[in-house]
Amino acid sequence: MSQPVTTPGAGAQDTDPVGPRPSRAIAARAINLSKIYGAGDTQVFALREVSADFVQGEFTAIMGPSGSGKSTLMHCLAGLDGATSGSVLVGETELTGLSDKKMTQLRRDRIGFVFQAFNLVPTLTALENITLPMDIAGRKLDKPWLDSVINTLGLADRLDHRPSELSGGQQQRVACARALASRPEIIFGDEPTGNLDSRSSGEVLGILRNSVTHLGQTVVIVTHDPRAASYADRVVFLADGRIVDEMRQPTADSVLDRMKNLEQV
Amino acid sequence: MSLTASSTMRRVSLRNLAAHKIRLALTVLSVVLGTAFIAGSFVFTDTLGHTFNGLFSDVAKGVDVQVRSQQDGSSGVPLGDVERIKAIPGVRAVEPEVGGNIVLIGSNGKKVQGGGAPSEGMSFTPPAEHLGNPINFTQGRAPSKAGEIGLNSGAAKLAKLTVGDHTKVLIPSAGTYDVTVSGIYSVKTDTGGYIGALFARDQALQLFTDGKHVGVVDVAGAGLSQTELQSRLAAAFPELKVMTGKEVKDEAKSDVDTALKFINYFLLAFGAIALLVGTFIIYNTFSMIVAQRLRELALLRAVGASRRQVSRSVLFEAIIVGLVGSVLGIAGGVGLAYGLRSLLNSFNVGLPSGPLQLEPRTVIVAVLVGVVVTAVSAYTPARRASKVPPVAAMREEFASTGSSLRKRTIAATVFAALGVVALVSGATAKAGGSAAGMVGVGALALIIGVLLGAPALSRPIVGLVGSAVAKPFGPVGRLARTNAVRNPRRTAATAFALTLGLMLVTAIAVFGASAKRSVNALIDNGVTADYIITGPNSIGVPIGVADAVAKVDGVATTVSLHPVDVKINGKDSEGTGVDGDLSQVGPVTILQGRDDLTGHNILVAQDKAQSEGWQVGTSVPMITRDGKAITTKVSGIYEHNTLMGPWLASGELYREVMPTRSMVDFVVLIKADQGTNLATLRTNLENATDKFLVVDVQDKQQFKGEQAKQINGLLAILYGLLALAIVIAILGIINTLALSVVERRREIGMLRAVGMLRGQLRRTIYLESMLIAVFGAIVGVVLGTTFGVLFVRTLRDGGLDHIAVPFGQTVTMVVISAVVGVLAALWPAIRAARTRPLAAIADI
Repeated sequence: MSQPVTTPGAGAQDTDPVGPRPSRAIAARAINLSKIYGAGDTQVFALREVSADFVQGEFTAIMGPSGSGKSTLMHCLAGLDGATSGSVLVGETELTGLSDKKMTQLRRDRIGFVFQAFNLVPTLTALENITLPMDIAGRKLDKPWLDSVINTLGLADRLDHRPSELSGGQQQRVACARALASRPEIIFGDEPTGNLDSRSSGEVLGILRNSVTHLGQTVVIVTHDPRAASYADRVVFLADGRIVDEMRQPTADSVLDRMKNLEQV
Repeated sequence: MSLTASSTMRRVSLRNLAAHKIRLALTVLSVVLGTAFIAGSFVFTDTLGHTFNGLFSDVAKGVDVQVRSQQDGSSGVPLGDVERIKAIPGVRAVEPEVGGNIVLIGSNGKKVQGGGAPSEGMSFTPPAEHLGNPINFTQGRAPSKAGEIGLNSGAAKLAKLTVGDHTKVLIPSAGTYDVTVSGIYSVKTDTGGYIGALFARDQALQLFTDGKHVGVVDVAGAGLSQTELQSRLAAAFPELKVMTGKEVKDEAKSDVDTALKFINYFLLAFGAIALLVGTFIIYNTFSMIVAQRLRELALLRAVGASRRQVSRSVLFEAIIVGLVGSVLGIAGGVGLAYGLRSLLNSFNVGLPSGPLQLEPRTVIVAVLVGVVVTAVSAYTPARRASKVPPVAAMREEFASTGSSLRKRTIAATVFAALGVVALVSGATAKAGGSAAGMVGVGALALIIGVLLGAPALSRPIVGLVGSAVAKPFGPVGRLARTNAVRNPRRTAATAFALTLGLMLVTAIAVFGASAKRSVNALIDNGVTADYIITGPNSIGVPIGVADAVAKVDGVATTVSLHPVDVKINGKDSEGTGVDGDLSQVGPVTILQGRDDLTGHNILVAQDKAQSEGWQVGTSVPMITRDGKAITTKVSGIYEHNTLMGPWLASGELYREVMPTRSMVDFVVLIKADQGTNLATLRTNLENATDKFLVVDVQDKQQFKGEQAKQINGLLAILYGLLALAIVIAILGIINTLALSVVERRREIGMLRAVGMLRGQLRRTIYLESMLIAVFGAIVGVVLGTTFGVLFVRTLRDGGLDHIAVPFGQTVTMVVISAVVGVLAALWPAIRAARTRPLAAIADI
């Protein structure tokens, strides 16, 4: 593979040192966010008064046990789901109360996605998938940028292939390219390595890490894999719908330890 | 297999049906439409049959024996025989009957439109001499002298006439008569549109006979059985036909039965087409249901269900769908029959009213057909379901990779090649039945070939149409195009329903256009008359019109054409009797002999002469309807002329041969004097024919228009019935789209997540649907045009000697299909657009 692959655990520390950077602008912010499913006796609190900031140019991993609300938090931040109360800001835009059309346009123009599965349209080629958000927005392609993304991700000789002709890792790299190509304000990943073997996982996480390090991209992923979390600058731990802890410059081991504690609580 | 095991599988099937109500509803609907037509045609004809049987209980009531002439359409029974019959021992009473077609003029001075029901005049027999039920006058009294008529209440209502009103009746073979309505009677046979005018006996004899004959003689016996009386009379009158009352009744019944059978088969044919089209939809639906349930089925397999149990559970679902669909279809059929009858009655076609008949046979056939068709359609998907490996349940995604199309496409090529060979040989063969049969076989093979090859065809055709139509829509268009061929088998099966429907419509349209063009060419080339005088189809031009127009200023030549019905060599043959100089108005090209139509000379068309082995000078013996033998001689042979028929006879021969009551003019052709103002002539002709009320003066253009109108009327009925197939095809598109939208839920959710607007998503699905519809339409239109042209070609000797392809209409059909495709996608698209973006991530 031609693209640089960062060694897990080490990369985050070796490159641009991270720490609290209050000077940087906030890319996304959750304020007193609550999400309740059902009503009455069957009421389930997915999120309870969660507040969190996601700083520009930072790689954040959201972790937590099953049912902790980590996916719900990401869905609300990404404009995929609405909260019961509280508010979400992407940049300066308040998501609460946006019409479906405005919300869709926001996702299209300002947010990038990498999902666990069903990332790509099976009938379109890799290139068509990469340019899809810009095509449907009717935006002009930034050709040099697109080429550099494609080359960096090592997809140049796969552009005419359909997803079914690509390996899982290649498919996920195409998905990363799609997220990067439109230069969104923030990229969300929902278990982006959940379906991949360790080698492909490393590639995909390396791509995201590099985009943060070298391009100042903001990335937020949800994961349950401590190794994946170790690529991040910051890990936010959720349990029972609340943020229970936060860790900077994580390693796989430190994350694993923290997770064990969480599950014991 | 234990009882519990199979009942568990059955429970899974039933729950599954209940869980997908819309999917179920659409599948059931396709079964309903097919079976409704089948049930409807049975109910319709059974009802008519039942009601007619009721009416026939009165036919020939009180009549033991009926005496008539040997040959239908003859003058009838000689008047003198009536008294002789009466004198035969054992005869108690006789009642001579005369009658014939009439035109009744209503209170508005116009012809009363009776639809398809008979419009006849009869003699009134006073109750004392009347056999059977006495006629019941509800108002006024029976006609007692010339100039009085009794009308049935239905006719009086139609004509808006009441007792004491003056009006006219027109008897084609006798002329127009002023009459007064003396009474109105009620009659059991009073179906909608029937007109029955009773005349006093003397006038009836004068109007409907030559004064020397009566139509038939009804006889009542005294203490003799029907057969005894029959043999006694038959022995006394060997030249007449003697039938028992029962035979008369049976004959009337069997005539109606034959007509009903034809209607039944005709309607059933359309039911079969509807079901065939429905088959594709049912097959498609079950294929998709199985595809969507692969994981569930795999889970069942993983926990120990056998292959047979899985395939059976799918078949069981199909049978339930078939059962429910056909039961609803029967209800729909009853409604259809009711609607059809009301529709026809609104045109006064003359259908009797009575309760709708739902015979056990109808129920059995409809349910059987519905269930069997559904089960057969679901068989392949059911087998595929049984092949799901249990491990599929554990995989995240089990892609139902369609097997290769290669085998299917090879078979398609073989069928198509055989079809083309048969079509070409049929089209190049000598015109006639065997050539048409060859074309039919070729068409069938080609249809099968196209059906098999449609998945392979769908890519290039959809690609081509897509790049033309969907291009302007940018990425939305590209998505639509690729979606439309994502699953070629499914696209093909969905589109094929529309293909079949449009194929039939186009083929019929080609027939219609060719028929119109052929008729036009015939009139353009064969008629040189300035004006053509026509009457209603049922009666022709009344006697007297020809004489009246001949006297009009500016008329140079008047030619009237008549039917001449005789037997030649024991076979019925109809020639054309000509009064006037034919060469002026509709010349025939004499190839041999002389153009001599005098006395017993006849002119014969070349093909007729060849097939009969006649030459100029050959004597041709003919037997008239009254049994008289005459000998004619071929004086000339003319080039085949569809307008003039196989042989021409003189007016004298016509009058000698035809019974008075059958005398009629087909048309009267008029050539104007040179230099005559045609517009003035027209006014004069109209004035001269005014008193005949029912005749039209037409120039050649109008005459052609009249013919085209008749062809169009016929086409409209066929189109109306084929519309059902199209409706089913549209349901199929809706069904396929709705199901594939469900299938692609996660993908759609992803598209929404990365920023596709609802409107864009809807547009994608509209376009996808449109492309599938246009694909089906193009294939259908191409096939239909090909078959239509080739069939018309094989009929080139039967008068269809010009081929016309209605290109405008064809293009319109494709465009309409595109619109219909979009309409069919409305609901699935709206559903798809409601998909939440989260669907891409979470199973919600």
